[in-house]
Amino acid sequence: MAYVATRGGERAIEQSERLFREELGEISLEKVAQIRDALPYLVDRVMGEASLYDQDVAALALTQAGGELHEAVLLLRAWRTTQPRICVADPVTQAGSHVLRRISAAFKDIPGGQVLGPSLDYAHRLLATEVLSGEKYQPPAVDRADHPAPRHQPSVSKWLADQELVTPSANDDTPTDEIPDLTREPLLFPAKRAHRLQSLARADTGGVLALGYSAMRGYGQAHPTVNELRLAEADVQVTHPNGTKFSAGRVKISQAEVVSKAKGEKLDRGFSATFGWNEVKCIAAATLDLNAEGAEKNSAVEEEFFLYHTEGVESSGFCIHFKLPHYVTFQSSLDAMRDAKRKKDTPKMEAAE
Amino acid sequence: MKLKSLSKPWEAVSYGFLDASAKREIRRKMLKAVAVPGCQMPYASREVPMARGWGTGGLQISLTLMNPKSIVKVIDQGADDSVNAASIRKFLTRVTDAKSTWDTLEANLIQSRHRIPEERLTRDQILVLQVPNPEPLRSVEPNMSIARQMHADADYSRMWLQLYEQIVRSGRVMQGASYPSMVNGRHVMTPSPIPRWDVPKLNMAENLTILSAGREKRIFAVPPHTKVEPLVFSDVPYKVEEHHNLTCARSNLQGYFMNEIPNEDGTSSYEVSDSHLGIKKLNEEDGDTNLIGDTWYKNGEWQS
Repeated sequence: MAYVATRGGERAIEQSERLFREELGEISLEKVAQIRDALPYLVDRVMGEASLYDQDVAALALTQAGGELHEAVLLLRAWRTTQPRICVADPVTQAGSHVLRRISAAFKDIPGGQVLGPSLDYAHRLLATEVLSGEKYQPPAVDRADHPAPRHQPSVSKWLADQELVTPSANDDTPTDEIPDLTREPLLFPAKRAHRLQSLARADTGGVLALGYSAMRGYGQAHPTVNELRLAEADVQVTHPNGTKFSAGRVKISQAEVVSKAKGEKLDRGFSATFGWNEVKCIAAATLDLNAEGAEKNSAVEEEFFLYHTEGVESSGFCIHFKLPHYVTFQSSLDAMRDAKRKKDTPKMEAAE
Repeated sequence: MKLKSLSKPWEAVSYGFLDASAKREIRRKMLKAVAVPGCQMPYASREVPMARGWGTGGLQISLTLMNPKSIVKVIDQGADDSVNAASIRKFLTRVTDAKSTWDTLEANLIQSRHRIPEERLTRDQILVLQVPNPEPLRSVEPNMSIARQMHADADYSRMWLQLYEQIVRSGRVMQGASYPSMVNGRHVMTPSPIPRWDVPKLNMAENLTILSAGREKRIFAVPPHTKVEPLVFSDVPYKVEEHHNLTCARSNLQGYFMNEIPNEDGTSSYEVSDSHLGIKKLNEEDGDTNLIGDTWYKNGEWQS
């Protein structure tokens, strides 16, 4: 009778996965819808990190992963890569986006006005513990403004450019379907501008915050001033094969532009934008972008350093891979160590070799 | 003839999971890698339904190379039933309808993490090695851009210096697995974290070896009949692990790379790392004959 391995890896992994899924329980359309509606900022965050805008799919990933963010993003990215690319949408412009919140820390007032929009910035962070004893928390109604804020806003940057305080960015007339795509090309350095911004847009929020914060605390050269922070909705303008342009829907976007007193007469700028509303990520990422120019090699604000290390799917995957068996490499190191020790213990023999 | 008869029915996922554009890119990068042995070729490295660092680079190569006639073997640390090998094998066969095997001799595609099987590979086989870190210079230069320039200049002086310092400090080269090796006299590459025992198997091999790092997005290759020379000083010979005289406690095989199993009494016992080689040996003892093919090592000695 043939010998059969007794270690049964296939059965073990099967049952381990079942145990995980059994504890999470049934997944239904209702459950996914609840997650989607109750946790919009979490849904936004994973949509941004996955570079895939679909609230239902993102809520499904969160549900399926039990809220494990890295798992949810990986699920979405792995699904995204199987999806066909039907067309490339037109670029979203500053003036064209539907602004729901835009603030500037650089000026008391800005053309178009400061629009606070929905924010917890000035809220007292008090936990509504009464909910746990059965009371309902009913948010107070909003007193609507007499005049709604304008839907479209010019960028603060445009005003700065008119004042010759910043060097206006050169108009990039790359056809939309030729814009470099990080998900289909390798990231090489110095990175293309599109690649750097795409990489930051899909970076891990925590990772970007950690490195951005290190730059803000003083490990970077430039101190950011938030020139403009925007939460908006943007039309996904696509061209039908017959030539007509139409909006295929709207996506929530956030963007931050930070400026810094430069070495010369103009301000330096850093920019970041991402899917969904995620202010912390955009400010931190824009700070990294601001500091990247001329950064010292191997510092946290150097492009290669922060783009590699804020990639959430790669960093989390590599981190958990250390759970995999490494006994061959370990054995190989042990062999070298033991041999070195032997040589040290018998120095004469070594000399005779 | 109707247009419909020329097209395939719609499917949610492409054959072999990756779509045609991803496979095309990987095929092109593999060809480049074969054309410049040991040189790292950047590729987009799509996300796959497995975490980065868990063999996604090897997986993408296998998915690109496989067809329904493929016979694939997947090992991790030399073992077919290792949990992650089982997971990768399950995925590969699920999306390609290919056959899988544990037998090195039967496979035409072998995806492996950290080992090269003990039986000699032939020209009809492709070995795909999973690579965590494709950059042999990482320990002396963590910045990829600078390391890339060093490869372009064939500037390996810091690598040599590191090896020399190890000899001065510890009396020997302390590199365990992933021993840096010169390929085709031009590019230094990491052979992936295979033990030193396995590195000679790449030199002038009959088979093609593709090495792929999914997380780090690099493909490199050792084509058949290509020189792979571990970096050594002329007066300090290359030393593989001292496993020549170890005996497997399960199969009695001797002279192959072993896993060390600590015993409660403070001693160690050993188990052959190439797990299916052990199974073959046990089956030969049960009466089957000629299961084990030609091996690179015989009685613990390298056979050139």
